[in-house]
Amino acid sequence: MQEHILSWITFLPLAGMALILCVPKTNTGLIKAISLVATGLPLVLATWLYFGLFQKSVAGPQFVQQLDWIHSIGAQYYVGIDGLSLALVWLTTLLLFIAVPASFGIDKSQKAYYALLLLLEVGIIGVFVSLDYFLFYVYWEVMLLPMYFLIGIWGGPRREYAAIKFFLYTLAGSVLMLVAIVALRLQSGSFSIPYLTELASAGAMDGSKLPGGGALLGMGFQTWIFWFLFIGFAIKVPVFPFHTWLPDAHVQAPTPISVILAGILLKLGGYGMLRACFPLVPDAFRANAYVLGILGVISIVYGAYVALGQTDFKRMVAYSSVSHMGYVLLGVAALTDMGMKGAALQMFNHGTSAAVLFLVVGVIYDRAHHRDLNGFGGISQVMPKYWALTTWGFFAALGLPTQAGFVSEAMTLMGAYQAQDTRFQVLVVISLIGIVLTAAFLLWAMQRVFLGTLNAKYKDYGDMSGREVFCQVPFLALCLILGIFPFLLTDWMDSSIKLLVGTLSKAA
Amino acid sequence: MSNYIESLPSIAPELALTVLLCAVLVVDLLLKGRDSRKVGYLTLGGLAVIGWLLVGQWSDLGATGAQKRVFGMIEIDRFGTFFKLFTVGSLAIVALFVLLDRRERRHGIGEYFLLLLGAGLGIFFMVSTSNLLLLMLGLELLSLASYALAGFHKGDKRSAEAAMKYVVFGGLSAGIMLYGISLLYGMTGTIDLAAMASGPNSLAAQFQISPVPVAVAIVLVLAGFAYKVSVVPFHFWTPDVYEGAPTPVTTFLAVGSKAAGFGALLRFTGKLFLVDGADASIQQYGARIGMLLAILAAVTMTLGNLAALRQSSLKRMLAYSSIAHAGYVLVGLATMESSGWSAAMFYLAAYYFMNLGAFGFVLYFESVTGSDDIASLRGLGAKALWVTVPMVVFLISLTGIPPTVGFTGKYLLFIAGVEHGYAWLAVVMALNSVVSLFYYLRIAKALFFAEPVERAMPKQTTLAGSIAALAVFTVIFGLYITPLQEWVKAGVSSLRLSIG
Repeated sequence: MQEHILSWITFLPLAGMALILCVPKTNTGLIKAISLVATGLPLVLATWLYFGLFQKSVAGPQFVQQLDWIHSIGAQYYVGIDGLSLALVWLTTLLLFIAVPASFGIDKSQKAYYALLLLLEVGIIGVFVSLDYFLFYVYWEVMLLPMYFLIGIWGGPRREYAAIKFFLYTLAGSVLMLVAIVALRLQSGSFSIPYLTELASAGAMDGSKLPGGGALLGMGFQTWIFWFLFIGFAIKVPVFPFHTWLPDAHVQAPTPISVILAGILLKLGGYGMLRACFPLVPDAFRANAYVLGILGVISIVYGAYVALGQTDFKRMVAYSSVSHMGYVLLGVAALTDMGMKGAALQMFNHGTSAAVLFLVVGVIYDRAHHRDLNGFGGISQVMPKYWALTTWGFFAALGLPTQAGFVSEAMTLMGAYQAQDTRFQVLVVISLIGIVLTAAFLLWAMQRVFLGTLNAKYKDYGDMSGREVFCQVPFLALCLILGIFPFLLTDWMDSSIKLLVGTLSKAA
Repeated sequence: MSNYIESLPSIAPELALTVLLCAVLVVDLLLKGRDSRKVGYLTLGGLAVIGWLLVGQWSDLGATGAQKRVFGMIEIDRFGTFFKLFTVGSLAIVALFVLLDRRERRHGIGEYFLLLLGAGLGIFFMVSTSNLLLLMLGLELLSLASYALAGFHKGDKRSAEAAMKYVVFGGLSAGIMLYGISLLYGMTGTIDLAAMASGPNSLAAQFQISPVPVAVAIVLVLAGFAYKVSVVPFHFWTPDVYEGAPTPVTTFLAVGSKAAGFGALLRFTGKLFLVDGADASIQQYGARIGMLLAILAAVTMTLGNLAALRQSSLKRMLAYSSIAHAGYVLVGLATMESSGWSAAMFYLAAYYFMNLGAFGFVLYFESVTGSDDIASLRGLGAKALWVTVPMVVFLISLTGIPPTVGFTGKYLLFIAGVEHGYAWLAVVMALNSVVSLFYYLRIAKALFFAEPVERAMPKQTTLAGSIAALAVFTVIFGLYITPLQEWVKAGVSSLRLSIG
């Protein structure tokens, strides 16, 4: 069990899905119960893995399982976990577990809904634990289809457009990825991500380590591999200018799916860069780090600026994701220990704070059936609990000290300021605009929704139900706990991140 | 004479098919066209026996790539057996579709099976001969049967129109091909591919004298194949014929007939340009033919996919999609290397599962809605999950998304393309996949995203079951490709090509 724990975590939801398919669709109680168990067990296992089994001092992958899969093309079932992926796997299991009760309000074809949700979890966890690039790609694509249907069937009025846009964008990105993966495979003879990383960090530029000899990665080759992979992942993050699918997908998706989309799916992009792009082509990464930094800063400022102009509550939150994920790119591009750690933290913390924000939007949308920021007012008078939790969530999102977002954003900015490339100091200063704008749009939204005179239409609204509170509290608690005790994450990541920074910054 | 009789067991499957064909004819006559289902069952049973014979032949031939040559014109090797098994497999599914087609008459359709088997016999000879005359005969047998099949619904205007177009286009391209063959014969004095490839009067020698007539002849023959597998610019018949023909016939044209065209094309190019002992200059010439095929591949897949974007009829859309897929298969051919050829054959096998499944879906819903319009599917997704969920599997497989056999097939083609100097073509193929996603997903969108509608669904358990089974195979062979890959490799190696 222990040595196969990653496979258990990955495939338990699949077993749950198979069970659900056998249940008659009218028995929704049983379907929900199975979903809770099938997402709860991975959460329990992941928690056990986090606090019990995982060795913090080990930098490389742990709980490795390596089996031959498709021998003729060299693909393996090769999974493992390290400090970088551990926290994200845990976050995934938590988010998916919360997504189940958060979906209890959905009453359209519930059987299919929960089955797809569980299939989605398989794909996400699979990506985080894969160490074989072929396997990684298969899981990466497996995610797309459930997401497409979850947006397309249970989404808002423009769901068909949003779903196909999401699918086409992501597939275009993954096709670029595939081209790069194939090229890497043909040059190196392997799909193994650790092996490719090792090749790159051992300076395989001269080709000395290749099985067949010859030059592996000339700078030209590295550069285009880098851009193909980067664009593939950047679409997922999404980094400006590849972000235009995100507002549509977010706005049209049902609340729990938006939560998963913002909380986890965007992290896949950032994680993919750190695991499967930059370490494989470190020289191209270093050469282009400044460009990435610029893209990061544009995302931070532009995302926040556009969010300020939104009148749709959910669209505003969607753009705030673009802004927050910009820090990840900036922190990574700086290539310092601090920046990298900040970026990894920021991925986790945005997962929790974005989840809260989307849940907040969901609560009011379920009552008012619209999301027009200007259409509310004075809600705090009728829904005090909701107001309290929202305020907490907004403060967490705008990075108030004692909240987790503060720690990770401060770390990325400090890390970026320390970068060897002094031009990053300018970028840090510019990105401060983003912080101000973020505070502005969140506080302005709060004012428009909760303060002012109560609109008579809303005077009968009930406060948040126990279920709604239950969905938000774990994330808010995480924001606070990790804001005060960030070492609960960083201690686990330290050695893996040191290794990563070492790999990336080693001179060729 | 004794030699003749000794050779007969080698063509036992062909003989069995001929016997079956006659039996179907006689039984249908005896039944006076009353209960055609019995003829259908006879066909299925006979196909099972032929399949068994072919499997036996496959193992008799052994893994070493043994090859037998009988009557001086038929080559018995695993390559041919692969395509014959493919044909039997698709004929069986098509015959099943005919039996399960609720819109088809129950009586007086015995010829349906007769024609299908006749087409099958044509394919059997087409894919196993190195003699151009026999190749032409096989091709014509297949074509004539297909013309009649396309117009099987005599009263239906669209069916009649389809048959007419098919005949005109088919006749024209057969003529072109025959003209090419006559030029080849004129230059080399033989109609045997092996003799053309080496020998004193070889094509290489002719090529040294004057390259133009050789090039003209080869291009004319290739045009004939291009028509059969619907490669641009010989694809014009495809959408009309696919749309007008009865759906089981369309299925046969899209799967069986197309694979046969590729089988014969592979053997033709292999024997002529790449076989062991062929002249070096003719092998170099083969590489240039590869370049031509690569360009055709790029144009074919792009045009096919772009045209499919605009279709509202399901069958027309699948017709353009089948054109695009012919383009993908050509990527493997263009490499002129055995790994690329195995990839092409693997893709054909993948195509077998996903396309048969997709046409099964069309058949199923035609009986429900009475039309093949994509819009008529709106809101029906939840009504027949045993068919619509498999359809989603076929669609992602056709697009080339894992974990399906369509993805592994495309992946192998992609690798082969990149490895053999056609990286640009591989990238064109990858981009085409993204384009194709858009129109494939229109079906999923119509089925599932529209508001569900109430509609009585006739019970079609066997059809739904076979569609679901095809979907299961689509996924299984996407995750576990070793057996399929072994088969296609054995097939290509039995061609005894000079290439690695």
